[in-house]
Amino acid sequence: MTAVAAKYDEIKSLGAEVLAISVDSPYTHKVWQEGELSKIIPGGLPYPMLSDPGGRIGEQYGVYAEEDGVDIRGRFLIDPDGVLQAMEVLAPAVGRNVAEMIRQIRACQYVRQTGEATPAGWEPGKKSLKPGEELVGKVCQIWSPDMAF
Amino acid sequence: MTVRVGKPAPTFETKGYHQGSIKTIKLADYKGQWVMLYFYPGDFTFV
Repeated sequence: MTAVAAKYDEIKSLGAEVLAISVDSPYTHKVWQEGELSKIIPGGLPYPMLSDPGGRIGEQYGVYAEEDGVDIRGRFLIDPDGVLQAMEVLAPAVGRNVAEMIRQIRACQYVRQTGEATPAGWEPGKKSLKPGEELVGKVCQIWSPDMAF
Repeated sequence: MTVRVGKPAPTFETKGYHQGSIKTIKLADYKGQWVMLYFYPGDFTFV
């Protein structure tokens, strides 16, 4: 969570907001912010921490684990029209890759702006593909797997 | 209900903590922006 905070300026510069959410109450969020997070990130997490009592929001997103009473580690990228564009769910003990989150925001934005497709490992400046009849069966002529890395 | 890429994300309205105060926050507040919504198992966890 503090890793997301460390890259928050970059995320905001892309026109994106971050919302963290767990089943904890807003008061618990406040105590955690003031007692611990603010010691790791000056001023605490810069983005809102939402409360999901009883996991009713997590339930809608398919990440509420009823037996444990918690929301598992799911991440959802929602576009400016409110449409879901990317999602990832990790085991509780496995942390996220913030750089990959940011890459996916950039890729989704590129696709939205250009109507093109971003191949595996795409980063800004790398080759994108224009979907269409002329590309069918010919991707290998303009793209190779080493370009993904 | 299943969530699916390409479909509207489930909407919500709930209480949240931000910049020292507790306020009501809803997904619709962010229409026109990209939103990275991330769930995590609980406060005071380590990852």
